[in-house]
Amino acid sequence: MAWLEKTAWVTLAAMLVAYSVYFTVISLTPLSTFSMLALFGAVMVIQVVVVIVVIAVLAALSSGEARAKPDERDRAIARRGASTAYYVLMAGVITVGVIMPFNRSGWSLVNAALFALVSAETVRQLVIVASYRRGWHG
Amino acid sequence: MAEARISNQIRTLRFLAGEMTQAELGAKIGVTRQTIAAIEQGKYSPTLEAAFRIAAALGKSLDEVFKWEGCGR
Repeated sequence: MAWLEKTAWVTLAAMLVAYSVYFTVISLTPLSTFSMLALFGAVMVIQVVVVIVVIAVLAALSSGEARAKPDERDRAIARRGASTAYYVLMAGVITVGVIMPFNRSGWSLVNAALFALVSAETVRQLVIVASYRRGWHG
Repeated sequence: MAEARISNQIRTLRFLAGEMTQAELGAKIGVTRQTIAAIEQGKYSPTLEAAFRIAAALGKSLDEVFKWEGCGR
């Protein structure tokens, strides 16, 4: 498995777990501003720490492939992921902009924008993983 | 799996070139072992420059290594 595919799997799994918890909690439980900030901060920090630790362990276990520069296939797959995610992010931002005038809750907008970001990043990582698994001709 | 439109003889030619490994070929042309494996399996079509490098590393001409299989989508 290519090194960048491994990091994509780790990032994808950590993000899906972390933000599934976050969006489930905020949709089921009314939270104060402080509680929501604390929850968001905790989820984000835990996600980042888990990703860093797991990738560091994988790098230590790999025989130098973590230090190798991305080659042309890695770069082509990364471009495909980013360009696909761009459309998801644009759709999300436009949706947030459309609902903004009809919503007085700042947190609803923040969470909608966060959902757009998480969706775009999820699509990016999914496209990267799928491209490594199924093949991509650049 | 993505449709492969370019076939290649890399695996055979590696064997004939002193049983060169995927990692050795990758190191010669500046790509990872996984990318060589993906090219051999038809999961990735290399750039023209990489294709020339592979052919040179195997001591063959480009058309001895790669073959265009048609223009099907």
